[in-house]
Amino acid sequence: MAEEDSEWIIESIVGFLGSPEWLIPVMDFVENKCTVFDDEDENKLSYTDVHQQYKTLVEKLLENYMQEVGISEQQFLDACTSPFAKSKSLQSVFQPVLATDDFQMFRSLMAQKNMELQLQALRLIKERNGELPECLTDGVDVMTEMQQQEMKILQEVLQKSKEEYEEEMSRRLMSGEDVGSTSSVCSTHPTEGRAESNKSPDHTAKPPLSLQVNDSADTVEERVRSEPGSGREEVSSKSQESPKLSPVVSSSSMESRVLPAVTAPLKSSQPISSSISQAAAETCLEEARREAGFSKPFTELSVSQQEQLQQRAAYLRQQRDKLHALKKEQQRTKQNSSAGEAPPTLTAAPTKSPVNTVQEISAEERKKLQKRKHLADKLKEEVIRK
Amino acid sequence: MGEAQKGLLSVIEKLKGSTEQEVRIVLLGLDNAGKTTLLRSLASEDVNTITPTQGFNIKSVASHGMKLNVWDIGGQRKIRPFWKKYLENTDLLIYVIDSADKKRFEETGLELSELVEEESLKGVPVLVFANKQDLATASPASEIAEGLNLHTYRDREWQIQACSAVSGEGVQDGMNWICNNITNKKK
Repeated sequence: MAEEDSEWIIESIVGFLGSPEWLIPVMDFVENKCTVFDDEDENKLSYTDVHQQYKTLVEKLLENYMQEVGISEQQFLDACTSPFAKSKSLQSVFQPVLATDDFQMFRSLMAQKNMELQLQALRLIKERNGELPECLTDGVDVMTEMQQQEMKILQEVLQKSKEEYEEEMSRRLMSGEDVGSTSSVCSTHPTEGRAESNKSPDHTAKPPLSLQVNDSADTVEERVRSEPGSGREEVSSKSQESPKLSPVVSSSSMESRVLPAVTAPLKSSQPISSSISQAAAETCLEEARREAGFSKPFTELSVSQQEQLQQRAAYLRQQRDKLHALKKEQQRTKQNSSAGEAPPTLTAAPTKSPVNTVQEISAEERKKLQKRKHLADKLKEEVIRK
Repeated sequence: MGEAQKGLLSVIEKLKGSTEQEVRIVLLGLDNAGKTTLLRSLASEDVNTITPTQGFNIKSVASHGMKLNVWDIGGQRKIRPFWKKYLENTDLLIYVIDSADKKRFEETGLELSELVEEESLKGVPVLVFANKQDLATASPASEIAEGLNLHTYRDREWQIQACSAVSGEGVQDGMNWICNNITNKKK
């Protein structure tokens, strides 16, 4: 058998492998059957059937071509064994043919095509819709979905605790400022201080600052109370991300810090000696003592000083109550004007009531939405890059 | 026509550039015999994270200048009917037995006797691995060979090899037998 013969046969077959008569049916087959091929280590039993079908297809195509061109099987056999057929440059061309004999080659070919098609589909969906629908950005499989859920919750908790911390810090800062400024009033007019404060409880002198104190305390308090509301909000808004978690986290940590300050004014009407309000009263007294600039603890002060301090404390409580009421009044009017969405149960208890829940929620919701958007972006990136 | 097709496919193998001799080995046995563990052990891979095989695994191991393509097919009862599909063109059969699973010696013997009667495995050498010898309750290889009636095989080479796929003990001995046998046969 002449060498040229083999060369001619090989070249003609290579030509056939580049022609649509070969490429179209083979491509069709690969694209239709590749969906079951994943990148798992283990092979599915169904791969074998697909491989068998592929063998049949390739054989049929080659046979048809050989018949058409007039290559005998013997000629083909000789051509295949010729050194020319084994040159490196031809190996890649023969790959789809060799895949009939080599399952692992076939498998990687199919798995690669499957991956390509998946990426193409993702790109297409993205182009068409602007972004990927949630069902595609959420979990690639159950495991990662659960991990993502966990990540979401974790991030939310972190965010919450950060917010709380910041709020607490700003609250402390502002109340610190307030205390500082009031005490400076007291210390610059040590003689008049008491008389003046008794005579004219003129809080307008420092409206912005004291209002701020109330403001921050209020918002914190509101947040605590508005939590259940926002929790409900979360449940109703399709994503079920930890509706239990966030309220628990925030309320438990906030109540312990915030409530004493909030409840103190409530108990101002009771006698100081009353055992129930002892703690609250002591806080007030302590505060008053600090404001007045006494360095010794309350119990070590003289009677007149104690009296003075108690008066001062009462005054402070009074002031706070007034501001509180004023603030509440403002909120109530605000709310009434804005369709009065306050739950009726809250208005029943006037001191603990109206909150601008609407605003709070919307702000929180906005934050949440932003977070979700960010997550979705991240997921998209990961999925596509994969 | 059928013959012509077979010829064409066998030719395609020759298109491969490599001159390395390729050997097709099928690894069978009951579920939990340790086939996949043995496969990993052959390929010097981690044997600690193996789950029951639902499909099949393939590893190519280079040994004695040959490329051994080892096919490990799941051994669960519902998969066993599929074994037949993988027997064609097989150069060697490895059959794995859990030496400590005395209750199923009969079952595994039946499966093996069915296999050696398969047309496509006619004359194909069989290596039986008496696996899990690291377990105290394991039966010795000689006892298992007797139970399987290996000595009655007249139409093929056979060998029984005690081993522990987990520790790797005895695995290399089995490999050596495989390589010697294949080279002898192909010469």
